[in-house]
Amino acid sequence: MLRLQVLALAALLCACSKKEEPAPAAGAQGPATTEPSARKPIPVGLVIDVGGRGDHSFNDAALRGLELYAAGKRYEGGKYVDATPTEVRETLPPHMASLASSIQPLPVKPMVLQSKAQEDYTPNLQLLVDQGAQLTVGNGYMLANAVRAAAQENPKARFLLIDSQVLDAQGKVLKLPNVRTVLFKEQEGSFLVGALAGLVTKTGKVGFVGGIEVPLIQRFEVGYRAGVKTTNPQVAQTLMSVYTGSFNNMAAGKQVAQDLIAKGADVIFHAAGADGIGVIQAVKEARAAGKSVYAIGVDSDQSHVAPDAILTSMMKHTDLAIYQATKDLVEGKFSAGEQVLGLKENGVGMAEVRVDFPGKAEALQKVDALRQRIVAGEIQVPAVPAELASFQAAAP
Amino acid sequence: MAERLKAILPSVLSVLLALAVCWALIAFTMTSGTATDAYLQMLWGGIGNWPSFLDGAAATVLTRPLGESAMKAALLTLTGLSVAVAFKVGLFNIGAQGQMILGALAAAVVGAQLSLPSALHVPAALLGAALAGAAWAGLAALLKLYRGVHEVISTIMLNWVAVSLVDNWLVIGPLRGVAEAGQSITGTAEIQATAVLPRLLGDLSRLNLGFPLALLLALAVWAWLARTRPGFETRAVGLGAEAARAAGVPVARRTGVAMALAGALAGLAGAVLVLGTEGRYPGTLGAPYGFDGIAIALIGNNHPLGATVAALFFGVLRAGGTRMQLLGVHKSFPELIQGLALLFVAGRMVWLAVLRRRQASPGSGPAPAAVTPSTEAPRV
Repeated sequence: MLRLQVLALAALLCACSKKEEPAPAAGAQGPATTEPSARKPIPVGLVIDVGGRGDHSFNDAALRGLELYAAGKRYEGGKYVDATPTEVRETLPPHMASLASSIQPLPVKPMVLQSKAQEDYTPNLQLLVDQGAQLTVGNGYMLANAVRAAAQENPKARFLLIDSQVLDAQGKVLKLPNVRTVLFKEQEGSFLVGALAGLVTKTGKVGFVGGIEVPLIQRFEVGYRAGVKTTNPQVAQTLMSVYTGSFNNMAAGKQVAQDLIAKGADVIFHAAGADGIGVIQAVKEARAAGKSVYAIGVDSDQSHVAPDAILTSMMKHTDLAIYQATKDLVEGKFSAGEQVLGLKENGVGMAEVRVDFPGKAEALQKVDALRQRIVAGEIQVPAVPAELASFQAAAP
Repeated sequence: MAERLKAILPSVLSVLLALAVCWALIAFTMTSGTATDAYLQMLWGGIGNWPSFLDGAAATVLTRPLGESAMKAALLTLTGLSVAVAFKVGLFNIGAQGQMILGALAAAVVGAQLSLPSALHVPAALLGAALAGAAWAGLAALLKLYRGVHEVISTIMLNWVAVSLVDNWLVIGPLRGVAEAGQSITGTAEIQATAVLPRLLGDLSRLNLGFPLALLLALAVWAWLARTRPGFETRAVGLGAEAARAAGVPVARRTGVAMALAGALAGLAGAVLVLGTEGRYPGTLGAPYGFDGIAIALIGNNHPLGATVAALFFGVLRAGGTRMQLLGVHKSFPELIQGLALLFVAGRMVWLAVLRRRQASPGSGPAPAAVTPSTEAPRV
């Protein structure tokens, strides 16, 4: 019996070691602010996905919106410190630099809860409401059910749901009077990075790595395909697309990216959360081995993860959406309803291209021309695979 | 009485020591004030915010935290029981996680696909989950009994098979919930209203039938092991299979039944999660309640009621621990406390083992290393 127990402990320790998390920082709210502000800061809550703080992507974008843009704070070692306006400006791509001046710190107090598992979403939202949050943000479509439950249980509290509408038990859209939902036209931003990929590729092969194959992630792929098709129709025919089936499995992302590179892809766009960090790693390693390969990041500007290996990133400005909702709240203008943000509304976009390659200036010019045509409504980027076949746009 | 106290005391001391160490860790990295505040937050988050209730706040400041703790405790009780039952028959069921995943899936499918009146639907979904968990554990038992495969190996492997089969294929593939065009959805289809475990306090908290069910099962398992003949035979097999066989106990049958029971209990944990609070099989069942069950069983000294007490305590800790984040304390501290407590319990075992070896060979060189005959009487 005793030996059995010792064996059990040994095995358990093995099992436990997998759960360790490298990120040292977590949590929220530093000491109460002592700034001489006219009124008490308004508490605003944010529940982020199981990916957690420091994913360099989707969750960090949301944190940026609430902490840096709305509260004017930077999270450092478990506390908030004041951020400078320069830091705000640095997070915006060049064509949006003019927005920097409109992002001013608001009198809000961020309260951030990370989730350990999906079943934490509902209690975490409830906890933030109980702690007095005037607005509570659910970051990601995986929180849709939790936001529905919390919003129905707390009709007086206000919620912002990113990336999904509220759905009822049958999967139909449900309008709740206290929830604002924000959807993005991911296909438009993905179109631009696809157009660039078509211009940059040398091998004539590009790849796409998705997370879980849901309509949301398919929009990335369809837009990307349409972009490649516009600038390089031949490459579009051989475009390789793989779904890892998860958003928190770096190893899976790395594996499929290595496979794509072995098959000759030299530009790989990912829309796979933390799996994408594995994609970037694979590209980085391939570059170290002498191959000329680029990765395209997603959601945030991921250039800093691997400066040489990231061609650009498809930006999804959940940060601005969260800032806007917070601002509306502070100004008493918060309204429920549905927002859909595309290129025109600065909901999506392409990050600054920081790497050098032959013909860079010309390629960027072409991509920018396409961007202007989408903004002007001349190009309708397809969002579902069925529309892809009939999509045609004149090359720039 | 003193005997019983001696059995309980090490676990209690280990838990207290773990709490103290974590307090010191937080105090060391932040301030001692923050550490105390964080512990208070955890307490209020686990057993309800009594000070603010006494100040006149609504009853929900008590019922919500208590409900959350109870629901976490229910899951931990069931997986803890699963591991404890297998221990009693001498098997180490590291596969509670996989059995729970299968149980959760079965509950989600029965809950969503069948149309039954409420009085039948809930039992049907629970039964489905128990059978699925039992079948998954039964695989390991069969491999053990007929092929001699060690159950640690087979149950670990079956955990990964379960994750790959369910999380990585069924839930994102054939069983994915359907939504209106263009909408993304996570997990399987939502269960029907008739399959939802009824809430006990209505809107006041999420406390549902799963909690009393878990407590009832803990009592039943204890009674079965301590007061019935099959239970006695099960323990006899655990203490010495050969001796039990010589005494006429059907060893294979007892082993198989105990393992199936272990699987059924873990499967029910999955059902309580799906039917109680989630309403569907979530996109991924990431929380390692099955692995936590091992810790709960060990801290509870492999006694069904001990495991229940440990589960209640760690349920409070887990539910309340989220609030530590509000003070900037890392989200992993509640798990750290549990891990440390386990480590200290383990330390006690090592200590006992060393002592026993000394006693076995007083001054006559090294003791025979491989054999450590168990001197424990069959007790529960």
